Amino acid sequence: MKDKLEIPDYNTLFQTEPYVKQREGKKAFEAPCSEQETAEALAYSKSSEYKDKNFARTSLVVNPHKACQPLGALMAALGFEKTLPFIHGSQGCTAYFRSHLSRHFKEPTPAVSSSMTEDGAVFGGMNNLIDGLENSVALYKPEMIAVSTTCMAEVIGDDLQAFISNARQKGAISNEIPVPYANTPSFSGSHITGYDSMLKSILSTLFIRSGIEATPGSGEGTGEKLNVIIGFEPYTGNFAEIRKILAAFDTGYTFLGDHSGNFDSPATGEYSYYYGGTKLADVPKAANALGTLSLQKYSVKKTLEYISGTWKQQTVAMSTPLGIHATDRLIESISELTGLPIPPELVEERGRVVDALLDSHPYLHGKRVALVGDPDLLIGLIEFCLEVGIEPIHIVCSNGENGFKEEAKALLAASPYGAETTVHIGNDLWHMRSLLIDDPVDLAIGSSHLKFAAKDADVPLIRVGFPVFDRHHLHRYPIIGYQGALNLLTTIVNTILQGLDEDSSGFNHDLVR
Amino acid sequence: MESIRNDVFDAQACGSLTPKSKPCPRPKPGEAAGGCSFDGAQITLLPIMDAAHLVHGPAACAGNSWESRGALSSGPSLSQYGFTTDLNDNDIIFGGEKKLKDSIDYIAGRFMPPAIFVYATCVTALIGEDLDAVCKEAAGRLGLPVIPVNSPGFVGSKNLGNRLAGEALLQYVIGTGEPEIEIPLGVNLIGEYNIAGEMWDIEKLMKSVGITLMSRITGDARYKEITWAHHAKVNMVVCSRALLGLAKEMEARYHIPYFEGSFYGAKETTYSLRQMAYLLNDREMERRVDRLTEREENRLIQELRPYRKLLKGKKAVLYTGGVKSWSIISALKELGVQVVGVGTNKSTEDDVRRIADRVGDDTEYIPEGGASRIIKTVRDRKADIMIAGGRNMYVAMKEQIPFIDINQERHKAYAGYEGLLRLAKELTYSLANPIWKLAASAAPWDKEEPSYDR
Repeated sequence: MKDKLEIPDYNTLFQTEPYVKQREGKKAFEAPCSEQETAEALAYSKSSEYKDKNFARTSLVVNPHKACQPLGALMAALGFEKTLPFIHGSQGCTAYFRSHLSRHFKEPTPAVSSSMTEDGAVFGGMNNLIDGLENSVALYKPEMIAVSTTCMAEVIGDDLQAFISNARQKGAISNEIPVPYANTPSFSGSHITGYDSMLKSILSTLFIRSGIEATPGSGEGTGEKLNVIIGFEPYTGNFAEIRKILAAFDTGYTFLGDHSGNFDSPATGEYSYYYGGTKLADVPKAANALGTLSLQKYSVKKTLEYISGTWKQQTVAMSTPLGIHATDRLIESISELTGLPIPPELVEERGRVVDALLDSHPYLHGKRVALVGDPDLLIGLIEFCLEVGIEPIHIVCSNGENGFKEEAKALLAASPYGAETTVHIGNDLWHMRSLLIDDPVDLAIGSSHLKFAAKDADVPLIRVGFPVFDRHHLHRYPIIGYQGALNLLTTIVNTILQGLDEDSSGFNHDLVR
Repeated sequence: MESIRNDVFDAQACGSLTPKSKPCPRPKPGEAAGGCSFDGAQITLLPIMDAAHLVHGPAACAGNSWESRGALSSGPSLSQYGFTTDLNDNDIIFGGEKKLKDSIDYIAGRFMPPAIFVYATCVTALIGEDLDAVCKEAAGRLGLPVIPVNSPGFVGSKNLGNRLAGEALLQYVIGTGEPEIEIPLGVNLIGEYNIAGEMWDIEKLMKSVGITLMSRITGDARYKEITWAHHAKVNMVVCSRALLGLAKEMEARYHIPYFEGSFYGAKETTYSLRQMAYLLNDREMERRVDRLTEREENRLIQELRPYRKLLKGKKAVLYTGGVKSWSIISALKELGVQVVGVGTNKSTEDDVRRIADRVGDDTEYIPEGGASRIIKTVRDRKADIMIAGGRNMYVAMKEQIPFIDINQERHKAYAGYEGLLRLAKELTYSLANPIWKLAASAAPWDKEEPSYDR
């Protein structure tokens, strides 16, 4: 356009004089306290005394860092072919989940609600569930519907099993369509608990319906295969990376839950509700696989119990494999489970990434970081930090349990770089703010939600985990495997180098770093 | 809680003038659904920037919503904090009122807000927490307004929540304060949330003709200014579906006349400013408004010329909430863009009438949501662009349809004269981006023509 106009955006516009004046003008009649008082209060909120009071807080949660169970259940459902996630409860929850996941993945999120209202609260949600199943089959033509509950349905005690069987009796939904369900109230657990419950429910429902028996290591065309669980995985790139590793082994495998298709579909000009996912027919066959490898453990506890208990399979579970050591263990596990040798191209890749770590290590050594995230991600991040000489100082895990805390502490105790670390479970991001201010660090690593605390503490934030709303496409780059280690390294070291350039006063504005 | 619900349903009937009209549409089970009443109440009240907003319920009601809206603040940021009582199993069984009380006390002691809004959620409503009593007791003890917002998710749609928030303002806030300094009588803006700073553009226009903005309800508001909203001489209702009932009740209680208006498009902006001056009954102000609007409209004619050339004859499908369904039509018409399909899901009957006044007979009305329904209209009507909110954005991308975000998460301000320019720029950029050609053309080795020729 030749006649392009200069239209300032809000960043520049609101710094112009009329707007600045306008804001100043407001203060005359609005402010409950003076600028001095505000400044004093802010300073106090950054004191050690305040930190102690903040940690003494019991009733109130400020800036929580966890999503709720049905959000995880929704993600588990989208890991299976032509499966419609159905959330039983009032409708707002579903709208939140769809927004949440869409903002992270930048993709549409198909999910429906039984839209319960006050009638449901009084008389129970059976009619809503039955009508909802009937309507959603008509509208979205799914091959499976995965029902999870919200707080509302849980508090009034809706009986999903009975309701679903009533729906079948009334002909609202045909017997052909499996309807796994999970009880997923938000007032216990978090998104990872919900992911686990739904995944287990889907596996067991499809297995029971098939009528076959589990015989590990046998069965037509399946005895040579490996089951792979990736868990509550916010990175579509991680699916691609584990695929690459398995392809290098040349082993057959079945993902138990693969939502990468739904959250990384091509723009073809025509939107479909369903993309990819584990084939429903593959689930019962998975009961005959060689074994199950899980890339998360805290977020698939019940599922792993089910697989080793009912399918009588060998299971190997590790936390998100970040860094060289964790990836080594991943590779060894695949080799052990399948009996296949370690592919030379992975060995070569390992060498290249180790080389990259050597190149960058002078900038990483002794850097102090704060970490926020889900338990499995944090275990991975701790290990990565320790192996490159980064010192984790503060770790906050809102949805961590004691088992996680003990594992994290043991991991940290085994390294001199973990000597100063404190691990906080059940705390929130307002606690993290106090930690960041009271005992400053060089970097914060965590989700976008950490940006407010990071800004208050004036520390750069490296976005890793879920959710990442304010940066584009990070989830498309793997963080697991050797390639993932390289990606994490690149992000961290370049953030540090960027900081050096920003802080340089001229004499140290170096060309080569 | 019961009394509020009855008031809302009987007297307001979705903002329509005729009480017989349809009640708020009930959400249908088994469809992709919009937000709930809790969400709606929060949206309305969160822009009161210096207040604390405490969600009494499980962590995720706050966890899923804190700091995810584009309502900007010119100073205080307490409203952006996600405060929640984070109820767990035990609290559900034994009750969470003690926790709520402790949380209120903690916020009052550590954050010293001018007021605390306490939101009920599905869980706390179902287990029968007495929010009103806890808030009343705390308010008395702390000497601080602690306002219960009884809008749990299950009572209905987002829209009902907007109105229940309005009820809370009427019941607990408006009329409880007096300005400390003399404020010339002025206008309240109701249902304008300062998305992307739009309210600031409007405030600047009002100021330049000498109209005082009395209380902002609630875009970039401070708690205190809403307490004295009853002193205004005129109420302007910007989003009628949300808060028309508030304006009606203020007319009944305080004899403040109201009008419904919009700031999307030059003509609507001019009309709104004129209406304010007229109702303020100030001839000199009316003359100033005339001079300003004439000058601004003439400037726009010049500045929009290059954009109009590109936008003329383009067709749009508009799927948005409430007032924007008709007001954006006016703005688009001024840019030469024809609206061939429009969502009416969240519109009042008056809104629908206004839509009808502004579009041609062959415009398709889309009564309810679902991505496929909107896409179908885009295809059938051979529309060039889709204008909707965040949850539909990525579907549009899949379908390779140019898109602009018009709802609460957007980062562009489209209100007022400057806003129309920004809208023109965004439309042009979205339509003219080379990526559409790339996306629509097949890979060189693939001879098949694209299925849809735009």
